[in-house]
Amino acid sequence: MQNLYYSFFNWNGLGTPIFNGLKNYVTMFTDRVIGRSMLNTVIWVVFTLALPAAGGLLVAVFVTGVRGAGFFKSIFFTPLTISFVATGVIWAYMFSRELGVFNGLFAMAGLQWKPSWLTDVPQNTFAMIIAWTWQQLGSNMVMFLMGLGTIPRDPIEACLIDGASAWQTFVHVKLPMLRPITTVVITMAMVNSFKVFDIIWVMTRGGPYSSSETLAVSMFRETFTLFHMGYGAAISVILSAIVIVISAAYIRRMTKRDLLYY
Amino acid sequence: MTIRLHPRKIPLYSVLIGLTILWLLPVASSFLVSFKSSEDFVSQTWADLPTKFYFFTNLATVLREYRLQDNLASSFLYAAVGTAVVIVAASMAGFSIVRLRPKFNFLLFLVIYSGTLFPFQMYLIPVYRLFNTLGLYDTRGGMVLIYSAICIPFSLFVYRGFYTTIPREIEEAAKLDGCGPVRSFVSVFLPQSLPPTAVVALFQATWIWNDLLFGMVLSRAQNIRPIMVAVATMTGYGGGNIPWIMTAVIFTSIPTILLFIFLRRFFIKGMEMSITT
Repeated sequence: MQNLYYSFFNWNGLGTPIFNGLKNYVTMFTDRVIGRSMLNTVIWVVFTLALPAAGGLLVAVFVTGVRGAGFFKSIFFTPLTISFVATGVIWAYMFSRELGVFNGLFAMAGLQWKPSWLTDVPQNTFAMIIAWTWQQLGSNMVMFLMGLGTIPRDPIEACLIDGASAWQTFVHVKLPMLRPITTVVITMAMVNSFKVFDIIWVMTRGGPYSSSETLAVSMFRETFTLFHMGYGAAISVILSAIVIVISAAYIRRMTKRDLLYY
Repeated sequence: MTIRLHPRKIPLYSVLIGLTILWLLPVASSFLVSFKSSEDFVSQTWADLPTKFYFFTNLATVLREYRLQDNLASSFLYAAVGTAVVIVAASMAGFSIVRLRPKFNFLLFLVIYSGTLFPFQMYLIPVYRLFNTLGLYDTRGGMVLIYSAICIPFSLFVYRGFYTTIPREIEEAAKLDGCGPVRSFVSVFLPQSLPPTAVVALFQATWIWNDLLFGMVLSRAQNIRPIMVAVATMTGYGGGNIPWIMTAVIFTSIPTILLFIFLRRFFIKGMEMSITT
């Protein structure tokens, strides 16, 4: 709440805040850096749904009933225990232009292609989304695995007996039954992608020239490196508003279920 | 059925194995980098083996140059004390929400729970300001305080979820035997609380250890800053000395990985608890 209050002021964190009404918000919508940052945030959200979330479902489905499932599972969720900072450092190295692993692999394959992953727009955002995927896929996989575990065998067997293919069974039986879990995964994935900060900070500092910032990073830069406290507060108000809207459906669902309990 | 489906499982295995390689590649190459000296790193390609095993030399250099041991000590303190505070506070709060049923307990719970969903950016500025006013900025006590506060919502959620599964009959039996709420909490609920406590300890200690944002915002001095802030600072704008940084990354990830290995069982359980109640 206090945050909302500061967002209407021009304040450097030390002196007296000067009231300037909605000016911070107006500036935000004409600020090209923030425009880029919003676009990046959208890219993050969309690809977080596409890669760690959908990928988690894919891996969860593939891993069930496969020999060595335990091994594969631990491979995918061990990165979860590593910090975002460590993930960022590791992947910054993977993508580094001169000495990195990916460009090294391209050279080994005889390719002349040597992209500067972390300094060119928009590759830098995609490179960081890949790092994020590496870290986050496991948690979505675990959630989908739990969901798959609760699906009863009978309807699936009935379908298979009726001659449905594995794909048809998946789309028409498993997927609808997974819906509660899917809602949680999608909500959490979106909410978390709005909050991504550490990986971007470590891999590019939001740069070059703020080109890979998301709203979370812009807010931090404006507030704590430039000390535009009021402006930073305004950015965080927008960010929070979006997250609250997205999670509203989820909270409502939880509320309903919990009211049944009480 | 397994045998009949076997040929069809080949693409499935290839996807899984492909992904596994993609997942292990960063780990393997990071280890390789941390084994190299700076000279080797610059002159070799990523896949070459180091001419000399340099990990411990790198580690010694990193500890000497960056004094990471200070940050490690601080982070140990934050993780241990923060988690302990959270366990005490959240278990009692969870108990009171579930069993004492204060008025508006659901609303109360919702307000606290929303703390886990909403972005930290929302209260970063107010907390920063509050810490400055109260003189908590850049102090160990302040760091412990903020970490405990941030961990309480999730922990409360876990405890609450677990306590709803304890049959009410047991507690009523205790009540008949003359137990008040405090006694009932201590002798009925606490002895059964190992699973949620392990989950909370695992998740929150890991979270505190891995935090970057609050450490960056609320501390400045070398001996107060938590470990991940120190590691992130090492990267700098130009990328820094990569073998050193990689060594630091691996070294500072050991505690959480060990915690994960020993409490693996609870890790999955925690994931379950965090999405189902």
